[in-house]
Amino acid sequence: MLIDIRDLYKIYNEGKESEVRALDGVSLQIDKGEFVAIVGQSGSGKSTMMNVLGCLDIPTYGEYYLEGTDIGSLTDKQLARIRNREIGFIFQGYNLIQELDALENVTLPLIYRGVSVFDREDIAMEALAKVGMDDRAHHRPSEMSGGQQQRVAIARAIATAPPIIMADEPTGALDSKTGRHVLEILRDLYRGGTTILLITHDDGIASTARRVVRLSDGKIISDNPQEVDWE
Amino acid sequence: MNLWQAFKMAFKSIALKKTRSFLTMLGIIIGVASVVIMVSVMQGQAKKNMEYFTKMGDNKIEVYAYSYYDTENETGQKLFDYCLSLSDLIVGITPDVEISQKGSIQYGSKTIPVNDWEAFETMVSVGGGMMVSSGNAWETMLSFKLGSEQYGVCNNYTLGGGREFTYLEVEKTIPVCVLGSGAKEQLFGFTDPVGETVNINGEPFQVVGWYESMNIEYWPQKDNIVVLPYTFNRSMNRNNPIEQYVIKAKDGHATIEASTKLEAFLLGLFPLNADGWCETGSFRVGSDQSYMENAEKANLMQSLVMGAIAGISLLVGGIGIMNIMLVTVTERTREIGIRKAIGAERSSIISQFLIEAAVICSIGGLMGIGIGYVGTMIAGKLMADVFEGVILMPEPTIAIGAFLFSVVLGIIFGMYPAIKASGLQPVVALRAD
Repeated sequence: MLIDIRDLYKIYNEGKESEVRALDGVSLQIDKGEFVAIVGQSGSGKSTMMNVLGCLDIPTYGEYYLEGTDIGSLTDKQLARIRNREIGFIFQGYNLIQELDALENVTLPLIYRGVSVFDREDIAMEALAKVGMDDRAHHRPSEMSGGQQQRVAIARAIATAPPIIMADEPTGALDSKTGRHVLEILRDLYRGGTTILLITHDDGIASTARRVVRLSDGKIISDNPQEVDWE
Repeated sequence: MNLWQAFKMAFKSIALKKTRSFLTMLGIIIGVASVVIMVSVMQGQAKKNMEYFTKMGDNKIEVYAYSYYDTENETGQKLFDYCLSLSDLIVGITPDVEISQKGSIQYGSKTIPVNDWEAFETMVSVGGGMMVSSGNAWETMLSFKLGSEQYGVCNNYTLGGGREFTYLEVEKTIPVCVLGSGAKEQLFGFTDPVGETVNINGEPFQVVGWYESMNIEYWPQKDNIVVLPYTFNRSMNRNNPIEQYVIKAKDGHATIEASTKLEAFLLGLFPLNADGWCETGSFRVGSDQSYMENAEKANLMQSLVMGAIAGISLLVGGIGIMNIMLVTVTERTREIGIRKAIGAERSSIISQFLIEAAVICSIGGLMGIGIGYVGTMIAGKLMADVFEGVILMPEPTIAIGAFLFSVVLGIIFGMYPAIKASGLQPVVALRAD
């Protein structure tokens, strides 16, 4: 079992009138090598779900085991290590550092990982090549289109070769063609053995996954495997 | 992530965010530079003030004593004798009389009027070759002084060559003289006057020595003197009573003690009657010690005022640093969120920001010191008239102090966003915009 959450709650303004239960007692198990889409309307708690699963946020209640490790017991430093080595993030808004060029953005997680200065540029270039952005290595985010920025963000996510990729509406800000291209990259990663968590509100995009978990009002309302025909 | 990496990242960030880096530096540059300049100017002025007093002669007691019934200068003799008894406090005593009659001094082809303003005017209007020096009369007019063999010591002159009078020369009214540097220059130029004979009011006098220039601004008269033994008072000064004396004490403490004793002594010579009036003469004892104390007080006041102004400018600079650092908190918070999301530890984020702030502030501080030094030089040049002779030089401790203050301030406020944002959950930091 790679990811194992049990009875997870994320509650904002608990006890007040404005209380919001972004996650309301969620339990979910994901195995290594799965391609899971977490689907829900806006406000259903799917982004909160990814933030908690990605160790970007802490749940109010509940347990989270990642590869058997109790995430709730980890220190800040250990969490940073997990974000760096175990999980690669792809955000809807790309979240690239504007002042750094593509190569530097991709190199950043390698620096934090402590990869030697001699290797990391090669590794970063390799990652850029995988998303077809190696020819734009020295462009700043502001000099690239949304699709290109997202591909750089993907390159950054995969540079450390993490076993899990979490993508939050990765195609949300892209046109359908570049969106398809991004999904193609995710599929390739899946084929390579990476566990993929895809968060989306779009059923069409969710249909690319092998398993669809549907969220509504912070609760899982359905969890179905699906056969997909990838041509 | 190692330290070198943190340094590289910090430098990169500074280079990439030029405007913000520059604005941050600007506060420090202005703060440090203004402190350095202001304190330097202030210290220069204080130095100048004190220099004036030192040259004028510290430990100097000026005595004025006039007796209504004294024709043979008995008062002077008594004062001399009394000073001899105070030899543990007093180094020397001399009459200090300026001859009020017009006169002249001649050497070779040069004849120079002394204390003779009309003759000077004529000379200037003639424009003749007899003129020895340019400038106005006020700056060049010579005067005859009557003094003892201790005239130079008492008035803080330094011999440039030759010697003072001897006791015997004074006693026996031997025609010798010592020239102030102004008189020496006007008569002899750069040649050595010692041993030469000059004619004073037609009488030959031998030059036995000359004094170095006092270099007191606004007071060139101090150098434009010709000192004669005071025993010439009878023949050259219509035997006017000698009323002015200068007494040189050993040190500041001796000055105060000797002044007190001299006052008591003179009060004995000139007793007051029942109405508080003195019927036999008058006297006054003054020392530069009191002037110096006042000057020191004035300097201290000025230092405090300037220090306050400098402190305020440093504070304003500091607020500038603070503002620019705080304004960028949101921008930086998001960046910190991204860095955390891709696996940066809190410590590496804090060290990056710490180094960044330290580097910016250090560069700014160094530039501030540099500009402060240059500014001090410029201020020194602009105010050369005021500070003549005093070279303005920034005090290193002040420069370092201002530098450290700005750097510490910059680091504190530079780290503030890092400390604050790196403690947030990444998702909270990411949400900032």
